[in-house]
Amino acid sequence: MKFPAFVLAAALCAAGARAADLTALWAERVKCTVAVEYVTQTELERRPTVAYGTVVDTQGTIILPSAAIDLRVSPSQIKDFKVYIPGDPDGTEAEYLGRDAYTGWHFVRASASIRGRLVPVTAFAGPEAARETGLADEVWGIGIRNKDEDFVPYILQSHVALLQLLPQRTAIAQQEVAGPGLPVFDRDGRFVGLGASSFGQTFLEFSGAEREGAPVMLVNLEESSAFLVAAEVLPYIGRTPKNVFGRPLAWLGAYGLEPMDREVAAFLKLASHSGAVVSEVLEGSPAEKAGLKAHDIILGVDGEPLPRFRPDRVVVDYVERLIAAHSPGQTMTLSILRGSDRVELKVVLDEEPRLVREASRMYFERIGFSAREFVYGDAVARHSKAGDLTGVIAHLVKPNSPADLAGLRPDDWIKEIDGAPVADFASAAQRLSEIDKDAARTETVLLVNRGSETAVLRIKLH
Amino acid sequence: MSGGFERLLDSVVRIDVSELNFEDGARRLDASIGSGVILSQDGLILTNAHVVGPKAVDINVTLASLERVNAKLVGWDHWTDLSLIRLNPDEVKKRSLAFKHAEFGDSEKLYVGETVYAVGTPHGLTRTVTRGIISNNNRYFEDTEGVDGYETGNFNSWLQTDAAINPGNSGGPLVTEDGRVVGITSRAYLGANNLGFAIPSVIAKRIVAGLVKDGTITRSYIGIIPKALQDLEGFYDLAANSGVLVDSVESGSPASNAGLRAGDVILAIDGKKVDGRFPEELPMIQNMIASQPVGSTLVLDYKRGSREDTASLVTARLDSRMGEEWVSDTWGIGVRKVSRAFARENQLADDTGVLVIGVQRGFPAEVAGLARGDIITKINQNPVASLDVVRATDAAYSAKPAPTLFEVQRERRVALVVLKP
Repeated sequence: MKFPAFVLAAALCAAGARAADLTALWAERVKCTVAVEYVTQTELERRPTVAYGTVVDTQGTIILPSAAIDLRVSPSQIKDFKVYIPGDPDGTEAEYLGRDAYTGWHFVRASASIRGRLVPVTAFAGPEAARETGLADEVWGIGIRNKDEDFVPYILQSHVALLQLLPQRTAIAQQEVAGPGLPVFDRDGRFVGLGASSFGQTFLEFSGAEREGAPVMLVNLEESSAFLVAAEVLPYIGRTPKNVFGRPLAWLGAYGLEPMDREVAAFLKLASHSGAVVSEVLEGSPAEKAGLKAHDIILGVDGEPLPRFRPDRVVVDYVERLIAAHSPGQTMTLSILRGSDRVELKVVLDEEPRLVREASRMYFERIGFSAREFVYGDAVARHSKAGDLTGVIAHLVKPNSPADLAGLRPDDWIKEIDGAPVADFASAAQRLSEIDKDAARTETVLLVNRGSETAVLRIKLH
Repeated sequence: MSGGFERLLDSVVRIDVSELNFEDGARRLDASIGSGVILSQDGLILTNAHVVGPKAVDINVTLASLERVNAKLVGWDHWTDLSLIRLNPDEVKKRSLAFKHAEFGDSEKLYVGETVYAVGTPHGLTRTVTRGIISNNNRYFEDTEGVDGYETGNFNSWLQTDAAINPGNSGGPLVTEDGRVVGITSRAYLGANNLGFAIPSVIAKRIVAGLVKDGTITRSYIGIIPKALQDLEGFYDLAANSGVLVDSVESGSPASNAGLRAGDVILAIDGKKVDGRFPEELPMIQNMIASQPVGSTLVLDYKRGSREDTASLVTARLDSRMGEEWVSDTWGIGVRKVSRAFARENQLADDTGVLVIGVQRGFPAEVAGLARGDIITKINQNPVASLDVVRATDAAYSAKPAPTLFEVQRERRVALVVLKP
């Protein structure tokens, strides 16, 4: 009769030892995680955002996942970065360093005053050979609660269910295993990966109107079951951008890559191939100069055939990452299928033209809108000649302002101000400022381009 | 009740229509009910284009005597939302069906506040008369997709009335107390109180004559979108009530080729001064241009900045954005030819291709990943210049199913898909 009691005691004892062990590992590893808060400040509002990051070196460098900051927002409008140590309600100032195009990570640097309390994740990296996660391995990671709970850290635990190339090697656990951007460890406390954006899960939603249940996809923004394996993280943590724009940025100029699916490959007698269809070749781009044509199918890059992914569309990310891994000035070789011909093209990559987030902007208080410099991407989006970079874009239109009431809409392309063509941003900004400040002015007339049409807008000033 | 009104009541009909639609990627019949008014003893009936159009496969008319008889489409004009059908003469004769026909009144003479009656089939309630007044005799609005996706309202103004207008009234007459037709009831704001609209008889008479003669109304196109000058006379340094502002010039259009630009002010057309100060005046000006025979030369006097100039242009034929539609039962896909107007609006390189308007679940097109909104530009690497290309490939596929490569334009992207048996 005593035997079962003994077994029970031993079991309890073992469980207790393991738990204590994991708690200690967790407490030590929480030090490589932080919450980062920043403010997006536009002409009309200040909007705080919180993201979670992992410390990657002893200089207080923190990486945040790509989705943490909206890429369309100008770095000049994201400010007041603060780093919070999990569980501590007081944040300290931090600096935004920019986004690395290859990994997509944003880099932030914590102030010197708290660096002593941070431990880089590399301290838990372990030997290279032991880093690979295997199917069914037990893994655990860190989650961080909200600001009103002082960002307290907590533990998540699961097992690896699947390993996929998306195109980075990504482990998918049975349940949520870490906050996006927060680290994942194995049972011995070795770093095995970084929480990725979570996948949508489909649920049935029942309501009075939908008694049979309507499928809805839900995405958990706080915790993820997917993580990039360590080999996709550790080699790249040194890619701190040289500037907030992440320049230099390599540019190919093949627009709208679309995956070639298996059926199409079979039809084109390319049974074993993967490929990406080029929708358009941008004017003046390296791709155009090298002779790439719209509807070409990219089958290989730098002598290597494109691998097959599941799902097929991952091949697009794969090609885009290959481009981002290059520097402007470097040569990329593309293996192309054009009609039924195979073509090899050598493309010398160039620096990406000025992006929307780099464009100059100015707000005109009385008229009630902000004008933004017209950049290359605007010309592409509007099917206009890349050489024609005249005019400015209405970036933000203040609700119920004179501009709004006159019918100006965000993304309108302002071609003329008071009947005179707009040459560039500087001259438009000057003229609009003069109008904005001239109290005697009762109207200004803009000619704007919207889609395939134009419109003459009379803005009545008061 | 006047004798004229009694006669009018005997000329109003209910119209039951079965329409063939391809928007689910299959042949589907949609049934609808509207109204109409008999215009002649040989059985011509005027109704709305959105009641009877070219997609109608069965038109069944209920006469005032409650007898039913089939009718055929004579022609339609979606721009003014009018349509003309004719009762089957053999059947009318065989069954000795009796009916009266209505007379037009003069919509130009209507005054605001004048009593009018709407007669029709609201919600299927045959032979319903409602009474109201003319609320406005010169209402203006455009509706770019007003008639089943077809453009409407650019060339006419509307009568507004507070006589109750409900779905099913469409195509019925709006009449004065003497029973004369002054308008064709065509729309109302749903959820509003008694805001109904009718096409004035002055427009209807002209459209009827054109449809009887040619089965269609041909209009001239020059490619400008006008805008009322209201409040802008000072800016353009113009005398009041002169000129119409060019808001937009369509690329590749006659106006564009003649050098006209947005911001120009057209002062005269063929020496005749135009006045586009108010939005209500724009349909008249548009109609004046559209009424020219296709291919005629127009001389436009216009002002650009402080300079006045003259441009001469040759009008082209006005086309709708909507192209011909067709459905493939084998692939489970409904398509519509890309028109020049559609290509222009959507900034496509040219009018190659067909637009996918519907796919049927589980059929080859849907399985391959084709979706509504895709533009099929090539099939088996041949450009889709016309619907015939699609029909021919479909026929070949039906005879001997084999994998078929489709190239589609999806937003700005080019996607390749293979349809398989």
